Amino acid sequence: MSDAPISSDLIRGHIDTIVLGLLNTGDRYGYDICKRVSALSDGEYELKEPTLYSAVRRLEPQGFVRSYWGEAGPGARRKYYTITEKGRAAYRQNLDDWKRARTLIDRLVSGTEEEG
Amino acid sequence: MIVEAIRYYVKGAFQGVKETPQVLEQQEELIADISAKVEDLVSEGKTREEALGAAIASMGELSALVDEFRAEQEALNLNADAPLVPTVEVYSGSLEFHTAAITTGVVAFLMLMCTAVGAATDTIRGFVGVVLLALLAAAVWWLRETYIRSVPRWSEVETRVLVQGGRVLKSIGLAAGLAFGAVFLNVIFQSNDFWFWPLWVAATALPIRLMVEWFAIRQGWFLVQDAALTKEVDQFA
Repeated sequence: MSDAPISSDLIRGHIDTIVLGLLNTGDRYGYDICKRVSALSDGEYELKEPTLYSAVRRLEPQGFVRSYWGEAGPGARRKYYTITEKGRAAYRQNLDDWKRARTLIDRLVSGTEEEG
Repeated sequence: MIVEAIRYYVKGAFQGVKETPQVLEQQEELIADISAKVEDLVSEGKTREEALGAAIASMGELSALVDEFRAEQEALNLNADAPLVPTVEVYSGSLEFHTAAITTGVVAFLMLMCTAVGAATDTIRGFVGVVLLALLAAAVWWLRETYIRSVPRWSEVETRVLVQGGRVLKSIGLAAGLAFGAVFLNVIFQSNDFWFWPLWVAATALPIRLMVEWFAIRQGWFLVQDAALTKEVDQFA
């Protein structure tokens, strides 16, 4: 059971935060973001491009990310995404929310009160 | 070859979605992503064909993303499958055609009656028949022009601006031009003492035309049933 891939349902609600977190470290294009997610999760979670683009299509109108076209290699044009100040604030907020939720869920699923 | 296959796959997934700049950019991103993935897999030792299959498989279903674009376009009525709406020019042309037909009919009836009275009282003579024929030809031309404009030319964008001012000015110009032309012919050929009768006809025809159009607009006969447009109708009616 422990070897099974992590259910994408568990992660789906946090895609926006994951994308914002990756962009917080620098501008990236779509495929690069997907590769970083795969690398960070040691291959346990794969962010599919359609899911990623749905997320940026939500984040862009909210003013959390901006996009621009740039070069990624010979002959290839790439659309880069960059985080805005509003996006950084949203990321920090989401991170705080996640930390509080994680503590709470840990307590709930273990059925015991957290030590300390 | 591989790039063409990728392009074919992505374009196929977006079938039925209108290719707006946003859609084209999204397609370009997906094509670039799959191409990059193919290159990565080839560098890992796969053949190009194997890499293409694996890259497309790992992309997952595009349908959810495509559906988002489709839903957006449906909200904007831009979807290629959505029924096309006639432009406001078609409604405008249809209105003008019917107005022209009714006005011509009423005026032709009045002129026939006047001619009959004139002939009976011997006040109309000679060349007046030619003038009447010229007016009839002008009326036929008017009907033809308006009919052509009323034939639906379907468009994806409904401008929803009913331009009545242009039509009224055109009508006034047409009526004045015809009346003075007919008066000129009357005076040149001195066919009768009632040389100013075309002015009388024009002065009768124009209000009839405007009244017919005003009535038709008030009834909403030639307008799309739309609350936004009804407001615009009220503004000039």
